[in-house]
Amino acid sequence: MDRICKAFSGVQVLSDVGFDLYSGEVHVLAGENGAGKSTLIKILGGVYDDFTGQINLGPEPVRFKSVNEAFAKGISIIHQELSLVGPMSVAENIFLGREKTRGMLLDKTSMAKQAHKRLVSLGLDIDVSRPVADFPLGTQQMIEICKALALDCRIIVMDEPTSALTEPEVEKLFGIIEKLKNQGCGIIYITHKMEEIYRLADRITVLRDGRHIATAAAAGLDKEKLIQWMVGRELNQQFPRHLAKTGEVRLEVRNFCIRDSSRKGRHKVDNVSFRVRAGEILGIAGLAGSGRSQLLGGIFGTYGKSVTGRIKIDGKQFRPVCPKKAVKAGIALLTNDRKENGLVMEMNIVQNTTLASLSGFSPGGWLRPKSETAAAAKQAQSLQLKAASLDQPVESLSGGNQQKVVIAKWIQTNPAILLLDEPTRGVDVGAKHEIYQLMNAWSQKGIAIVLITSEMPELLAMSDRIIVMHRGRITAEFSRESATQEKILAAAMGEKVPA
Amino acid sequence: MIYENAQSKIRIARWLYSPTARALGALVVVFVLGLAFNADGAFFNWSTHRDMLRAVSVYGILACGMTLVIITGGIDLSVGSILALTAVSFSLLTIHRGISAPLAIVLCLLIGAACGVGSGLLIARFSIQPFIATLAMMVFARGLGKLISGGQKISTAVQLPDGNYSYVEAPQIFTFLNSKVAGDNISVVTLVFLVCLIISWILLTKLRPGRYIYAIGGNEAAARLSGVPVSAVKTLAYGLSGLFCAIAGICQASQELQGDPEAGVAYELSAIAMVVIGGTSLRGGRGGIWLTLLGVLTIGYLEKILSINAVGEDKRLMLTGAIIIAAVLFQKTRK
Amino acid sequence: MKKIKGLLIMSAVMAVIISGCGKKEKSETEAKWTIGMSQCNLGEPWRVQMNADIKKAADAHTELKVIFKDAQNDTLKQRAQTEEFISAGADLIIISPKEAAPLTPVVAQAYQKGIPVIVLDRRVLGDQYTCFIGADNKKIGKAAGKWIAQLLANEGKVVELMGLMTSTPGQDRNSGFREGIEGTGIEIIFEADMKWLEPNARREMESALARFDEIDLVYAHNDPGAHGAYLAAQAAGREKDIKFVGIDALPQEGQIYVKQGVLEASFEYPTGGKEAVEIALEILNGKEVQKEITLSSRVFTKENIEQGGQLLSQQ
Repeated sequence: MDRICKAFSGVQVLSDVGFDLYSGEVHVLAGENGAGKSTLIKILGGVYDDFTGQINLGPEPVRFKSVNEAFAKGISIIHQELSLVGPMSVAENIFLGREKTRGMLLDKTSMAKQAHKRLVSLGLDIDVSRPVADFPLGTQQMIEICKALALDCRIIVMDEPTSALTEPEVEKLFGIIEKLKNQGCGIIYITHKMEEIYRLADRITVLRDGRHIATAAAAGLDKEKLIQWMVGRELNQQFPRHLAKTGEVRLEVRNFCIRDSSRKGRHKVDNVSFRVRAGEILGIAGLAGSGRSQLLGGIFGTYGKSVTGRIKIDGKQFRPVCPKKAVKAGIALLTNDRKENGLVMEMNIVQNTTLASLSGFSPGGWLRPKSETAAAAKQAQSLQLKAASLDQPVESLSGGNQQKVVIAKWIQTNPAILLLDEPTRGVDVGAKHEIYQLMNAWSQKGIAIVLITSEMPELLAMSDRIIVMHRGRITAEFSRESATQEKILAAAMGEKVPA
Repeated sequence: MIYENAQSKIRIARWLYSPTARALGALVVVFVLGLAFNADGAFFNWSTHRDMLRAVSVYGILACGMTLVIITGGIDLSVGSILALTAVSFSLLTIHRGISAPLAIVLCLLIGAACGVGSGLLIARFSIQPFIATLAMMVFARGLGKLISGGQKISTAVQLPDGNYSYVEAPQIFTFLNSKVAGDNISVVTLVFLVCLIISWILLTKLRPGRYIYAIGGNEAAARLSGVPVSAVKTLAYGLSGLFCAIAGICQASQELQGDPEAGVAYELSAIAMVVIGGTSLRGGRGGIWLTLLGVLTIGYLEKILSINAVGEDKRLMLTGAIIIAAVLFQKTRK
Repeated sequence: MKKIKGLLIMSAVMAVIISGCGKKEKSETEAKWTIGMSQCNLGEPWRVQMNADIKKAADAHTELKVIFKDAQNDTLKQRAQTEEFISAGADLIIISPKEAAPLTPVVAQAYQKGIPVIVLDRRVLGDQYTCFIGADNKKIGKAAGKWIAQLLANEGKVVELMGLMTSTPGQDRNSGFREGIEGTGIEIIFEADMKWLEPNARREMESALARFDEIDLVYAHNDPGAHGAYLAAQAAGREKDIKFVGIDALPQEGQIYVKQGVLEASFEYPTGGKEAVEIALEILNGKEVQKEITLSSRVFTKENIEQGGQLLSQQ
């Protein structure tokens, strides 16, 4: 790809970017959110066809007008946002847009067989006739990967493919990547995770603010240098955690249960008890499906009254009924899917920021736009939010900035307890660092924080204590000093581990 | 200098893409059609425009409530039936029972609001899809209207015990709502429509429930998880829609000088068309009341132009359908 | 548990409603003859009037009992309901069919079984029925045309507001009218299809008023249409310059409008309910009746309204 330029309604997103890929190599594309990585690969994959510059596949110049045109030439993209249709079956999704037919009729049996075969080769043995929405996010991502892997791909682009995968699934994926390399595929891999970059990359290209910064071989490349290319500044500590003075117990959960309505006798959350003090960060580790998100959701009231157990906030009894009551009681929940249920995309930054605390900005029901804007501006400043204006709809912001708006919304409610579910998912390095600083500041103020994260280094660095969940139960508890990656992983997989 | 010119050019270009500009564009096109096909100059008389506004006001009032409901991501198919129910109730109360106008109005507003709240509870509490819930209310309200009216129009003709009919004077409220003010230049029902527009505007832009309505339409899951009282706000939206239907029903009865249980059939389709042509998306979360006004005027003028040119029924239907599609496609230009 | 509760409530409500309906049909004394009346719909007030006329006429005769069924404008439903009358052993059937062809077989079935059938207002095909009673829309339209021509001294500008022109009454009232004014200097300057609805008629009249400074008379295919036109004219302050003529002349509608001076005249479109009961009695008492009975129509004007209108001569 040569001298690629692209603009969206007047805003320049890519300027003069060049990129090349050899067959049989894994070329990592790195950079902060908003650097232009997604746009670049969408141009390659045929999603956008209005750009300037040249693309050559081997010797021939190409210009794709549609995704199927790119697919026909052997280019396949696995997007960050899943492109699966929930109510349709797994097999139907895998062949979506490329259905096999016998004459005029759909050849459903052969598609089902092939889909199943492909999934098994990825280590996934599931019922391909069930709707995709039935499966957890991690499995859905594997299905998405399976969908994109056609029989003869020349180029495969993976955009943050492991964000929802568990450790074993990640390993499987890396195995597939190895196989594809040996077959001569060229792989473009976009990720934020440092370990992945160094594990997979043959070469690394860094984009920043729509420009090409550098391309280098991965072997021998300094971590600090890479970060510097990406953010343009030196980041000495990736995970600074300043321990705050811990105070009284703010959140106490005892014998908390959420029954699983779809499976008799099973529990989504099974007899969980824990405590969090003011100024403390409690990390919760676990594989996908262990019930971590459900635990936080249950405390927040998303399961209504169909939960059992006792919850005390600052010593007072609390019954989860609905999110509205939880917010009133001083709990804030930052969900792991901001697009799905964290932000109202059409609304602007101000409106999203004040959404959970709107009664405070509307005495007698009358809105006070000026005070809303003032509060949002204050938040934007303290969170270092990068946006052209607070009037922008949040859908036009980068992932990291979107996450900051969600954070602003919850901080605005002045919470006593912050439940964070994957707060740095899909967020670039610079913004991640800022969020860690914020978490420090919050705990200094005396807020009790519960942190769910699937990034082990983040978990180990930021948590004061760690509990591990497996199939709805707590299987282990570690202090900051005694926790190690291996022990946590073992406990997450259900094995008994000494503290 | 050049930079400033470029900036303002970009601002103008951005505005031209906005929903308001596109709805305005559709209206301007229809207006120009009126200028061209002006039916021997009838289009240049103020009376033509005043009458168009009168005729479209009842639909416009329905469209106000429909706007609220559509922004929450729902739909209300029962507006025509509630209009008939309240038209019949209003006539019964004032003509046959002699109840005073203010009391009758309040009772009818309560009836309309109750129907709306009923739909809203079905949708919010029992999670029934808006299409189905309001369809059921549409059928139920129509039946209820026929029941209390005995299937007959409630007019100033009162049946005496011997089976014959005598007629009574129409109550003052009827003649008032049916009349014109400001030197015969604007109909009272048009002013009622204007008031309904302003009430909707205040709710949607200046009050907290209005913000919640947009949030629920934009992303209901996010709204719920932000502590927004989703059930209450949805019920409010449908209840207000019912209230607006009652206002429309009272205006309809006054203009017909009778309460007709068959009134309002298919009015919901016109109301929806007006909201959609105005640019409020059926998906919810976007739109506004002034866009609906543009949609109301567009359809109102279209029908008036076809009417003064005495266009045959068959051509009328086809032209209206084609222009609705054209207006919506025009709305869909690339972002 | 919730679902069972819901089912129980629904069943209870339905039981109450159905039992309530059933009660109305119990008669005080045992009637000698049972007549089944199949009405195609009760959405039109004119049909409600038809049923009311039948009921009023039948109430005067204690030996008659009439059971009314409403097909809600569904041909298949009307066929099923007529079959119910046959199997319940009705002594006579009166039917106002929605459409001719689909209901001809069931009417013939009853007729061949020996059950007399009176077809009211709308026809069936063929001749397998006892008697047809109906009015002639074309004749009424023609009479209206002639009456209007006379009123305007053979010269004038007329607005015609038509009923649904895809239905035969609309077409007949239109073609009959044209026949009636043929050869005169009556000019139809504006015509529009108001689909029998008053608000539509008002809107169309507003357009006519905006276009034409001179309008002498409005001929509407039904009284609600004429009334809507009147309201439009009144709002423009021109109601005194224009005369209004309608059709239907229901006692609580058209006749009232004539009394009030809103309509110059209204032409009766008789329901035939009363006549149907009279003919039914004759048949049940063993008398021979005519196969085709065309109902006479009256014209109501302010002069003759107290005497109950004036019969139109059969032409």
